[in-house]
Amino acid sequence: MGRVAIQGVTKRFGDVTAVDHLTLEVADQEFLVLLGPSGCGKSTALRMIAGLDEPTEGVIEIGARVVNDVEAKDRDVAMVFQSYALYPHMSVRRNIEFPLRSRRVDRDERQQLVEEAAGMLGLDTLLDRKPAQLSGGQRQRVALARAIVRRPQVFLMDEPLSNLDAKLRVQTRAELVELHRRVTTTVIYVTHDQVEAMTMGDRIAILNDGLLQQVGPPQDVYERPTNLFVARFIGNPPMNTVTGKVVRADGDRHAVAVPGGEIAVKPEIGKALDRLALAEVVAGIRPEHLELGADGPIEATVSVVESLGHERHVFCRLTDGQPVIVRQQAAEAAPAEQTPARLTFDDANLHLFDPTTERRVEA
Amino acid sequence: MTPTTTPPTTAPVAEVPARRRRFSRRVREASLGYALVLPSLLVFGTFIFYPFFKNFYLGLYRNPPFPNLPRKWVGFEQYSDILTSSDFYNSVKVTVLFALYTVPIGIALGLFLAVLAHQRLRGIAIYRTIFSSSIATSVAVASVIFGTLMNPRVGLLPWLGLDPQPPILQNPTWALVAVSVTTVWQNLGLSFILMSSGLQSIPDDLLEAAEVDGAGPWSRFRSVTLPLLSPTIFFAVVVGTIFAFQSFGQIDLLTEGGPLDRTNVLTYAIFTELRERNDPGAAAVLAIALFGITLLLTVIQMRVLERRVFYAR
Repeated sequence: MGRVAIQGVTKRFGDVTAVDHLTLEVADQEFLVLLGPSGCGKSTALRMIAGLDEPTEGVIEIGARVVNDVEAKDRDVAMVFQSYALYPHMSVRRNIEFPLRSRRVDRDERQQLVEEAAGMLGLDTLLDRKPAQLSGGQRQRVALARAIVRRPQVFLMDEPLSNLDAKLRVQTRAELVELHRRVTTTVIYVTHDQVEAMTMGDRIAILNDGLLQQVGPPQDVYERPTNLFVARFIGNPPMNTVTGKVVRADGDRHAVAVPGGEIAVKPEIGKALDRLALAEVVAGIRPEHLELGADGPIEATVSVVESLGHERHVFCRLTDGQPVIVRQQAAEAAPAEQTPARLTFDDANLHLFDPTTERRVEA
Repeated sequence: MTPTTTPPTTAPVAEVPARRRRFSRRVREASLGYALVLPSLLVFGTFIFYPFFKNFYLGLYRNPPFPNLPRKWVGFEQYSDILTSSDFYNSVKVTVLFALYTVPIGIALGLFLAVLAHQRLRGIAIYRTIFSSSIATSVAVASVIFGTLMNPRVGLLPWLGLDPQPPILQNPTWALVAVSVTTVWQNLGLSFILMSSGLQSIPDDLLEAAEVDGAGPWSRFRSVTLPLLSPTIFFAVVVGTIFAFQSFGQIDLLTEGGPLDRTNVLTYAIFTELRERNDPGAAAVLAIALFGITLLLTVIQMRVLERRVFYAR
């Protein structure tokens, strides 16, 4: 069983708290992505699971076993490092074989397992080369082969794609997902790249400043970010967020007054705003949910239009100069730059956040 | 510097035939090259090449047994006399033994201490300073310290209940060992610093990867640290051997080549010939021999050992 449970784990380096009371459960065979900006504690969390760093507080379980006092070499996990950490003096074969030698697997079995792993990753013809003679992508595959060769309970991957060029990264991303399906082992994958997180993970766990922000399937996290940090971190271009005053029209009707117009709010959300007694609120709308039209609640000016071929990013300014991005399909008519426009959107796509706690306002 | 004073170069150059232009450019580049090498050439010429050939030349003359008599040209006769003598054989043997006693142990100890000090522990910097401190002591200081420690009356040995007869520095069996111990100690700082810097150049990732791959501390050391340290160790072996072959101070201060020539290394034999026997010819022959042996050993080490060295590219 490759389940991993992290309970109340904290890691402090002197005065710095790298990971703050992290509690997270990873199911057997799950692909979990730890996502966050650099310095958020995601790599430290991974290193604690690997046994390379010791938690200051808390309990880590792998399978049914508490591993706090188990050394890295006995944890039955494999790790792929950002630098790949291939042994430069050993051939590809010896590199892949190393974990098996360490565990005193006998020679025939070793050879068979190495060839299997190398075959899976298309390394058959490279077995006698040294790492220095390989390309970045090949090195990365050797690191993966070294990880899968002994069938560990858990794979830990620390930004394994970040040293590859953009094209290779997209290709390897898909290969990794495929590989995970074939070897059916739990994977904990650290990245700062939200595209990797969205495309690869069964679930994403987002960390910031050592604190867990949200855990859930990628689509859930995208559609219902639990706070402003997650809302702004996930999605590219990022979600537009504008602070506005809560205005109460007659009776139950609530609206948010933003520069250049008013955004109507659904009655059940209005109740929540009343319950929280918010005078101001942060309104968030993803660029693809905004539309440019002749009529719409919000007045703006188109400043720059960027075409990406398949889509367009339209940079607008609200009446007070705040930037807002609208994402258009290429098929839509392109607006002219430096012209006034009105922004419109569907209520269902509006996200509201408490400006002080930064939490999502829910009905 | 005013760029306006230089005339435009493009116009006249265009009139010169291409071949001539290329030639003058080659000459200019070559003369610049020689000009840049000249200072080093002068220094090396004055202090290395001239003395070397002069030394070789001195060996071709035999000096008279008494001062103020003319020296006599003997060609290679003196070379063959000295290089086949039992004294020379003894000196080579002692020198090789001295290198064998000091180099491997010095490197192993330096590596051992470097591995100990390569931990992330509070206060480890104090140990690093202590371990490297002997690099700041001179041969003279080291010799005085160890001479005192090995003194038969006030030293450490009688205090430990060890009392070799004759006393250790006069003891034919143990004198070379005693000098070697002093040398190992004195070189330990350098060896420690070399090994420490070698260790620091090994990425932590590799050792961590080995740990996750299931390797214990010894296996990590043997399979990862040692191979990646091999260039450093190789360098230390070559340089250490050269140093060992040139050691003089500790022998002069502790044993003066005795007892029974058991510590009469080549450098000390050269010194004796020159200063005590007033025989520059014989000293020159020994010096040339020392040079030849050192060169030969270094070449052999490069051929044999370097094959086992892994250089990261």
